[in-house]
Amino acid sequence: MKLSIKDKIGPRCIIKEDGQKIYDEIHGFLKNGETVTLDFNGVSQFASPFFNFAIGQLLKDIVEADLRRLLQIENLNETGKLVVERVIENAAKYHGDKDYRKIVNDILEQQANESD
Amino acid sequence: MVLKVIQIHTLNDRPRDFQQLFTIWSQVNDYFEDVRFDFSRCGFLRPNAVVFLGGLARLIESRLGSVVFDWSTLHNQRVLTNICQNGFAGTFGHPSSAWDGNSIPYREDKTLDMNVIMDYLVYNWIGKGWVHVSDRLRDAIAGRMWEIYNNAFEHSGTQIGVFSCGQHFWRQNDLILSVVDFGRGIPANVRTFLRQYAEVKLVSKLTGASCLRWAFQAGNTTKVGEPGGSGLDLLKEFIHINQGKLEVYSNEGYAIIDKDGERYENREISFEGTVMHITLRCDENLYRFRDEVEPPF
Repeated sequence: MKLSIKDKIGPRCIIKEDGQKIYDEIHGFLKNGETVTLDFNGVSQFASPFFNFAIGQLLKDIVEADLRRLLQIENLNETGKLVVERVIENAAKYHGDKDYRKIVNDILEQQANESD
Repeated sequence: MVLKVIQIHTLNDRPRDFQQLFTIWSQVNDYFEDVRFDFSRCGFLRPNAVVFLGGLARLIESRLGSVVFDWSTLHNQRVLTNICQNGFAGTFGHPSSAWDGNSIPYREDKTLDMNVIMDYLVYNWIGKGWVHVSDRLRDAIAGRMWEIYNNAFEHSGTQIGVFSCGQHFWRQNDLILSVVDFGRGIPANVRTFLRQYAEVKLVSKLTGASCLRWAFQAGNTTKVGEPGGSGLDLLKEFIHINQGKLEVYSNEGYAIIDKDGERYENREISFEGTVMHITLRCDENLYRFRDEVEPPF
């Protein structure tokens, strides 16, 4: 399956609502193990909310290695690539378990050390 | 109700100028306030002051108060010209209309309208010729700045919208963007989020500085059920690479990200909301993609 992002949402990949539209189109195919190609030809502006929803969300039920194998990205410029990579990196952290109690304790310890 | 007359002094963008703005906020932070801003001692207003006062006026109005900007007290012609040109004075009762020139318009956004805000960033802010960048790089910078607006609308819970203004200073060759919301503030958001998982007593000990540090780390987000935590991280990285400066005032926390790194501090005067104040250096050598070897113009 190949999807032209410009045809689907236009030249700006910015907001989460547009990201959700892309997610809704591609999630089923990827979940079934099918290859999906996203063509960014003609798209020039990018921000993280779009990619959080279009791609970051996929990591909820698709492991990163499978996603990288099944999802092909074409004609994405350097800016877009940087944002996608960052979003995938952070989404993987997000979907992993976080021990917030430990996080709070660590922050308090750092605070205590700083005030010494 | 007694009319409060608030003196607006010369306001720059040093920490003590922000402290003055937060003091003004604390003087009028209630319902049914009737306020008159007096500019007779004002010799300069940076965009952070313009945008803060504009947002504060809307906050007062939203709490059933009233605000008068007493333009008859503003005798400094340079300040008046600047705030007439960027549309701020006209928005608050001065009989003038904004005009296109070297100014960057004052904005009030009630909603997160992608096209309106991106057009502002692309054509009125970075793309106005202060710094010669390729279209591709212009778009990349605007995308990073969008993250600020997105954060303000997504996280702050602002009831009155988001306020922004910019300016280019020829002498220093700096380009400024200042964005303000009067929402909950980042530290308040972080504490609310962490309280769901950790002991309330412990979370309440987290300082504003610690909360800001946590919020600026890659992958950390207070959104539940959706991935995030890339916006501030990408913005921070952009500021580092381009040797700019990002200052954040939120509740009692203060963060500065610049060429020397990042520092987080606690301030004595707190305010409910967030100011994001960005200074970019308009040096073309700092603004290139790796594959843009030749000057892009």
